[in-house]
Amino acid sequence: MAFIEIKNLFKRFGKVVAVNHIQLEVNKGEMVTLLGPSGCGKTTTLRCIAGLERPEEGDIVIDGKPMLSEGFVQPSKRGIGMVFQNYAVWPHMKVFNNIVYGLKIQRIPRQTIQEKARQVLELTGLNGLEERYPSQLSGGQQQRVALARALVSNPKVLLLDEPLSNLDAKLREELRFEIKSLVRRMGITSVYVTHDQAEAMVISDRVAVMDSGNVVQIGTPQEIYEKPANRFVADFIGTMNFMSGEVVQVLQDTDAVYVRTEFSEKMLCTTPDTTATTPGKKVYASIRPEDVEVFTEPPQARENLFKGTIVHKAYLGNFLYFFVSVDGTMIRVQVPHYVPQEEGQELHLFLNPQKCMILF
Amino acid sequence: MSRGNISLAALLWLVIAFLVLYPMSILVLQSFKIAETDNWGISNYLGFFQDTYYLKTFGNTLLLSVLVLLTTTLFGVPLAYILARYRHWGKTVFTALILLPIVLPAYAGVFAFIIFFGKYGTLNLLLMETGLFKTPINFIYGIHGLVFIQSLHMLPFIVLGLSAGFTNIDPSFEEAAEVEGAGGFRRFITVTLPLCTPSYLAGAVIVFLWPFTDWLTPMILGQVDFLPSVAYINIAYHFTDVHRKYMGIVAVIVSAVVCISLFLLARWWVERKKYTGLSKGTTSEGRVIEPGPLVKLSAYLYMFFIAGLVLLIPIVLGLSAFSRRWVFEPFPTHWTLENFRVILLETPVLIQNSFVFSGIALLFGIAFGLPAAYIIVRTRVPGRNALDFVITLMLAFPGIAVGVSYLLGFWKGIPLAQYWIIMPLALFARRLPYFLRMAHSSYLQLDISLEEASEVSGAGKLRTFLNISLPLLIKGVLVGVVMFFIMAFQEISTAIFLYRGGWETLPIGIYLNWHRGMEFGIAAAMAFLMIVIAFILLLIISRIAGGILKAAWGPGGT
Ligand SMILES: Nc1ncnc2c1ncn2[C@@H]1O[C@H](COP(=O)(O)OP(=O)(O)OP(=O)(O)O)[C@@H](O)[C@H]1O
Ligand SMILES: [Mg+2]
Repeated sequence: MAFIEIKNLFKRFGKVVAVNHIQLEVNKGEMVTLLGPSGCGKTTTLRCIAGLERPEEGDIVIDGKPMLSEGFVQPSKRGIGMVFQNYAVWPHMKVFNNIVYGLKIQRIPRQTIQEKARQVLELTGLNGLEERYPSQLSGGQQQRVALARALVSNPKVLLLDEPLSNLDAKLREELRFEIKSLVRRMGITSVYVTHDQAEAMVISDRVAVMDSGNVVQIGTPQEIYEKPANRFVADFIGTMNFMSGEVVQVLQDTDAVYVRTEFSEKMLCTTPDTTATTPGKKVYASIRPEDVEVFTEPPQARENLFKGTIVHKAYLGNFLYFFVSVDGTMIRVQVPHYVPQEEGQELHLFLNPQKCMILF
Repeated sequence: MSRGNISLAALLWLVIAFLVLYPMSILVLQSFKIAETDNWGISNYLGFFQDTYYLKTFGNTLLLSVLVLLTTTLFGVPLAYILARYRHWGKTVFTALILLPIVLPAYAGVFAFIIFFGKYGTLNLLLMETGLFKTPINFIYGIHGLVFIQSLHMLPFIVLGLSAGFTNIDPSFEEAAEVEGAGGFRRFITVTLPLCTPSYLAGAVIVFLWPFTDWLTPMILGQVDFLPSVAYINIAYHFTDVHRKYMGIVAVIVSAVVCISLFLLARWWVERKKYTGLSKGTTSEGRVIEPGPLVKLSAYLYMFFIAGLVLLIPIVLGLSAFSRRWVFEPFPTHWTLENFRVILLETPVLIQNSFVFSGIALLFGIAFGLPAAYIIVRTRVPGRNALDFVITLMLAFPGIAVGVSYLLGFWKGIPLAQYWIIMPLALFARRLPYFLRMAHSSYLQLDISLEEASEVSGAGKLRTFLNISLPLLIKGVLVGVVMFFIMAFQEISTAIFLYRGGWETLPIGIYLNWHRGMEFGIAAAMAFLMIVIAFILLLIISRIAGGILKAAWGPGGT
């Protein structure tokens, strides 16, 4: 049985449905990320787990104990640690007092408090800052205080709401790895909210992608990236070329289908769901820019080979982006930075049928 | 929504129902009573509006309001502009002096001006000494004097609103006008002033309502044909004359209705304007200009003139307080501590009462205000907005209306008025918004996640409030406490209806000393004492929190 079970959770604010009957399970020691665009209900879901919002329907079970169905369990009784987006470090308390606040409330002996605080200060790299007030700390240090405060009492569950979004890019990357290794070492089950897909990919064991109150896909970062469940997920995670078209033929006993697109009568693609694919269905033939193979000379004839013209070239340091027009359809292609082709020149594109999937 | 919050809200509503809604409804009910019968009807209102005398009173009050608003606007616009925009020396001191009348009781100002500008006051005596004038000039007895005194008292509200407006306008609006080629004055008239309308209006409505509330200033100046003064006289002196009593009640209600409806109208309008985003709140200082030498000199002279008039109040009262028999002489000649001896040793009960009543009212205020602020800001309990609304309305409700309704509501039926506790209770009800608004606005600025973090850490609601919220709110709360106390300490309009022998407060003492035969020295010494106390308290607040001060100042009143 999963450590956290979210069952059929539903929460609305007036007319706005923030969380729409979602199901989600988080295993013990696992870090699951809630990923999605702004306003899709990530924070609300997290706050429901914390007990800071009262959902209208559904239940949340933490470590076998229902939080809602057998009477509302107050946030103070749920045994969770939480890191807030704006840190919520108390400005009138020194770092040390911020960190041990929860322990003091639990009436833990002084000796133990000192010991635990020392450990967590060590872990979060805050040694020597105990006697400072939050206003005397940098953003990154305040973030660490928030993390230390959440971790100090060994919570069963750690909740993090965009903990890094207020930091600059460099620090953000550093802390991502720090948080991940710290949480993993302590073996805490955690739910991490972010709208930054790169962050989600790096930090999580599994990702739950949300869209307007629904969880649309749950899976490992790799599954989400390679087998997106629909166009929304594919678009949100990484970059994807979408070529709208219509299924013309389904090949028996395989997952291969032919699709008619604007520039091709028969394009071979892979379908993730053979039963839902029938001739005449409107779909998107989709391929990632880095999966498109390019040739400057016409290669051996094969299926899914198209000729196009480079309309725009963008230099992104370690690689190049070409915007290639194939009969008016724009396809983005990622190539190594040494490819010498210039705007206006021709390219041959091979859209590998294995990598070219159809999405709905 | 927890059950605790709902019971708390219910408790607060109960207090409001008992101390605000119940007496008010008795007041309204009484106004529909047909004299000497058990029947009800609108005959009192018909009588009021068919009587040319009362109609004239109503017209006078309206005229006075218009004149006071015009005067304060005329003097306030340049003043606010100077304070907000010019870089100059002594900005804090001038601002403090010009805003001082907010915490000076209006009646203190009247006494000071009678001594200085009166028929045989300092100014007239000095003028006559020069030989240029044979007879004294009538500076203050008449509607012009009322306009003068009330305008000086209300000027801060115009200045506060406008200077906040001038400071907060996004500089790019004016810069855009400048780029378009609009020169200084033109830019001011076409862009700056219109942008400030919402903040001007917020102050203007308070100014306009003042003549509908202030009964004492006209009375002291011998001008009684104004709505609140007539109401006071009818009810306080002619309670047995049934017809006059009911006319008084109707006058009170008419004033209250004018006040509340204009107040609501202005609020609604300001809210709507804000919503369209006319003035963007910028964090910058706004535009500060270094004026040319001539402009600067005039600006200084102007500020000195206004600040001088304000300063006249404590100075004249001080002179009078430390002297004896200061009549027919421009300046006092006999110096003495006699006045203070009388106040402090012979009738210490007045000061005692003032402190005790205001202190108890303050305790009620805190006990009510903190939970109310919590309910309004932090919960979704149904009816919390209505609670906020009712409490805010008390800002516009004339003190005399509170007094009369308490008299009617707590005399028979619920005979609370026979016990001294009625005094602090009435002060509490009347000054309710002062503390609450402060607590409320600082609560709004307190990031809720600071409290949530505490709850997640294992602290319950009450513990979170004590450990996290209260320490972070304390500045705003303290400012609210002090403002409440100052305002309760000066309160007279409500207390005058309710006091009985032995319950007199300092303001009532001032009134009685004047009323019983011009014991000016003692009245002045009492007023001076009140100013000193208010001043010390103000120093304390400005120590605690300079900036919050402005936010605390809502409409004042006797
Ligand atoms: N307290 C509230 N009152 C009313 N509506 C709310 C409240 N909190 C959230 N909402 C609404 O619920 C929806 C989901 O909000 P939520 O904060 O969960 O989004 P989010 O995914 O965390 O977005 P972001 O990435 O911007 O933080 C939004 O439409 C939001 O406007
Ligand atoms: Mg969020």
